[in-house]
Amino acid sequence: MKPSRVLYAWLAPLLAGAIVLAWLGGEGTAQDPRSPAWQSRAIPESRGDIQEVDGKRVQIRYKAAPFSTVTQNFEQWPTYAYVDTKTYPPPGQVAMPAIEGDPKEGRKLFMNRAKAPCTACHLIQGDDVWPAGNIGPDLSTYGDRGLPDQFVFNLIYDARLFFPNTSMPPWGTAGIYKPEEIVHIVAFLKTQKGNPPFVPPSEKDPARNPFTRKLESYFGDNLDPTNNPAVVLAEGAMALWTQTGPAGKACADCHAGGPERAMQGVATKYPKYIARHGRIMSMEDFLPVHAQETTGVEMLAQSADNLHMTMLIKMQSNGMPVNVDVTSLEAKAAYERGKALFFKKVGERHHACADCHQNAPGKGADKFLGGRLLGDAEKGFTKHFPTWRTNFQVVWDIRRRMQFCMLPLGMNMLPADAPEYADLELYLTAFDQGKPMNVPGIRH
Amino acid sequence: MAQVGKVTIRVPPDIKRGDVVRIRSLVIHPMEIVQRQDGKPVDKNYLFIHQVIATYNGREILRSDTTQSISENPSFSLAFRPTEPGTFKITFLDTHGGKYEGSAEIKF
Repeated sequence: MKPSRVLYAWLAPLLAGAIVLAWLGGEGTAQDPRSPAWQSRAIPESRGDIQEVDGKRVQIRYKAAPFSTVTQNFEQWPTYAYVDTKTYPPPGQVAMPAIEGDPKEGRKLFMNRAKAPCTACHLIQGDDVWPAGNIGPDLSTYGDRGLPDQFVFNLIYDARLFFPNTSMPPWGTAGIYKPEEIVHIVAFLKTQKGNPPFVPPSEKDPARNPFTRKLESYFGDNLDPTNNPAVVLAEGAMALWTQTGPAGKACADCHAGGPERAMQGVATKYPKYIARHGRIMSMEDFLPVHAQETTGVEMLAQSADNLHMTMLIKMQSNGMPVNVDVTSLEAKAAYERGKALFFKKVGERHHACADCHQNAPGKGADKFLGGRLLGDAEKGFTKHFPTWRTNFQVVWDIRRRMQFCMLPLGMNMLPADAPEYADLELYLTAFDQGKPMNVPGIRH
Repeated sequence: MAQVGKVTIRVPPDIKRGDVVRIRSLVIHPMEIVQRQDGKPVDKNYLFIHQVIATYNGREILRSDTTQSISENPSFSLAFRPTEPGTFKITFLDTHGGKYEGSAEIKF
């Protein structure tokens, strides 16, 4: 592949924005005032560059699961990038195709994991539906409601037509379900009837039904190295701490007293506004810049060195309350930007963070997405990151968590150290204000 | 990787006389896995822990041979019923002659 054909997706809009701004301002300032231009210092797989492979544009992503499971390029859909000007098509009235709906085909489509599956949010009848979610309304007796077909069709095609603030993706507008397929789903939903009406059949297994499923999750003591391999990895970063880098210095040369003394309480203030770089930076963002300037070690974001060192530094603040600055002028602005991102609808499925992680009617916090219990942002997401993921057997920081949060929902990931993610992280960390840090965590 | 051979032992808190105690231990070790060439395992002296010996107050309570490695930094746990307070000691021996020891006090 020729280098000239390599396009950096995140750079292209940035340059376009810069040109527009330069033209508007006439001063040649290449910066959007809302987002300082940021040269990503992350490993290539985490930058989300776009490459052309066999005539198809694809986004470069982490090779490991679960990132490897999403291969589609979602370039055409809006993202969190501040320079992104893409908009989502508005809802429109669509006539229902005049074909006969097949309930069996509809049930298959309802359960199709490659497309949705609808069961991730809606409960239907049948013991084979496992695990079902309960973010959306229970559809076990939907047929008893006697709603007109055209209405149900439009509701699936684009629910924004009736409910502007809905959490449901506009399946038709996004092109995920074809109109003919939605006709089958409508036919299937009409078969979901109770006996007597509105009384669903009794459950054989209470765990099948997300409304009766237990909310247990405990993975043992997260600071016990015999239980959490991330602790061992973090302790391993001690070698890096004392290692002399290409510039002839080691971390230990300037930060006296070992991480225990030098780094005590430091991490409680992150992510924080760093004036020199004009942006919010988390520990993971700061390390590549700082290590390069001092020891000469290349501690790229998302590299093992970076993650392990972040854990080692954050561990020194364990038990101390999170104390991020959200009141200074710049931090307050970043917090507000992060808050706006939390509620911004992005991607093919037109989702916002808030759809799943806000505890409000019609939103997903503390409910099941399939078998997964969704967290409530207000209860705090960040104080245990980086965290060990038992199902992937790797350490994830909050950035990789964010990258994979939206990727399956149809948004191309941004670089791991993007200022947008940093603002979002600040907004989320503010909910943890005053709570004790607990790094590394352990989660499934 | 942290220092090779470092042994960490976790003893549950609040042990009462007569309780069955499950002790977890972790040793930092590369635990080399079997390499293959042309579909056949390479014959060589792989570096992995092949024997685990646990003693309590000097008395051997477990001797276990392990045949191959599965992952680095292995964790072993065992349960036993201590009749009196004392010292739990665990020894890991690897195929290259390495000997790694750790001990923990058990109090009632």
